[in-house]
Amino acid sequence: MLERAGVPAVSICTDAFVLLARAMAGVYGLPDFDFVTIPHPIASLGPAEIETNMREVVSDVVRILTGRP
Amino acid sequence: MTDLPALDIDELRRVMEEYADRGWTDGLPVMPVTESYLAEFLARTTRPPDEVLLAMPHLERECTVRTAAINAAMAGCRPEYFPVVVAAWSALKAEGYVPRAIWQSTTGTAAMLLVNGPIRERIGLNSKGNVFGSGFRANATIGRAVRLTAINAFGLHPHELDQATQGNPAKYTACIAENEEESPWPPFHVEHGLDAQCSAVTAMTMRSVAHIEARHTTVPEQLALDIAGTISRTGALIHETISACIALGPEHAHLFRSRGWSKDDVRRFVYEHAVNSREALAAVGKDAVSGKTRWRLSGAHPDAVPDTAAERGETDVKVLNSEQAVQIVVVGAHNAGVSAVIETFGPRGGPPAIAPIESP
Repeated sequence: MLERAGVPAVSICTDAFVLLARAMAGVYGLPDFDFVTIPHPIASLGPAEIETNMREVVSDVVRILTGRP
Repeated sequence: MTDLPALDIDELRRVMEEYADRGWTDGLPVMPVTESYLAEFLARTTRPPDEVLLAMPHLERECTVRTAAINAAMAGCRPEYFPVVVAAWSALKAEGYVPRAIWQSTTGTAAMLLVNGPIRERIGLNSKGNVFGSGFRANATIGRAVRLTAINAFGLHPHELDQATQGNPAKYTACIAENEEESPWPPFHVEHGLDAQCSAVTAMTMRSVAHIEARHTTVPEQLALDIAGTISRTGALIHETISACIALGPEHAHLFRSRGWSKDDVRRFVYEHAVNSREALAAVGKDAVSGKTRWRLSGAHPDAVPDTAAERGETDVKVLNSEQAVQIVVVGAHNAGVSAVIETFGPRGGPPAIAPIESP
């Protein structure tokens, strides 16, 4: 939705929702839509654990945003 | 067995397997639909086939009168049930959570439909014994019509667009009727402003049905406290407060009425007594709310802010935000001190979502 509005964006979901993410991408006609996955769950994690998870995927976020491998 | 109609079993199996292979099912066999059979359903409503009954904008999908009719036929409805199904979609639209994707949520909700008025008798809707159970075609297939539409029109297949963690049994079907004849109070739809000769559907987004055993008492306060205790269980709390529909068995309703309690008296008592102590909430880590989402969490969480009760200096924390967050309906057989609480989704507090049913 953000990208349709011209704002570069990256979707991040936990690995429990990969099937949903693919299905939603299909609904919007973008079956190859690229997104970042992190381990499930997150709702019960503390700030430090969240930060650790996010550090591990920063390079993926940058890769998708810039289109560079 | 010789008086049963003859059929071509190979052809029947071929059609049923075709529907199953296409995923057009909740797992149970569905009724095949032809254009001529569909026309019988569409003839039961004045609404045009292309009229949109409910849309899910985020999926860019919608349910029209025609798709609702196809799924009602597939669910096993008779054509004369279709006006109830159409009204159910109007009520679900008014209720508001379905267009906002609640049926895809991990919570795992489903529609609970409540029917009032003369149509109950005309189409054989059960309002008495086993009201939440099986055995009655109108109840079974009207509820199923909504669920099949969710799967077939909106594409809410489990593991894909439906991410329910566990779901609940209402995801097959859930349609009850009020036992108006054995209720000591005016029918639900009359309480909410409709004429008694009008028939109506009320839609609720249901999480679970919690059973209440109270065969032991004739004291209305004891019974009302049993109900309030069922509503206030901490496991029900995700938001700051919850909502519920008390499904009173006729025996319990008459117990209240015989002691002079009106529905509003029951509602007021339950609202005031459906509480948790601050300590009980702290023990399960739900003693505060998130400043961002207002969901319950521990007071130790970095996002925690005081809940409304704490702001008001109240030690007992109400689980309902107002008397209107609890509805009351009378269902079931007049044979035991049994009732239930239909746990509905969201804090609420406004009027219920009721849609009139078109007359035949």
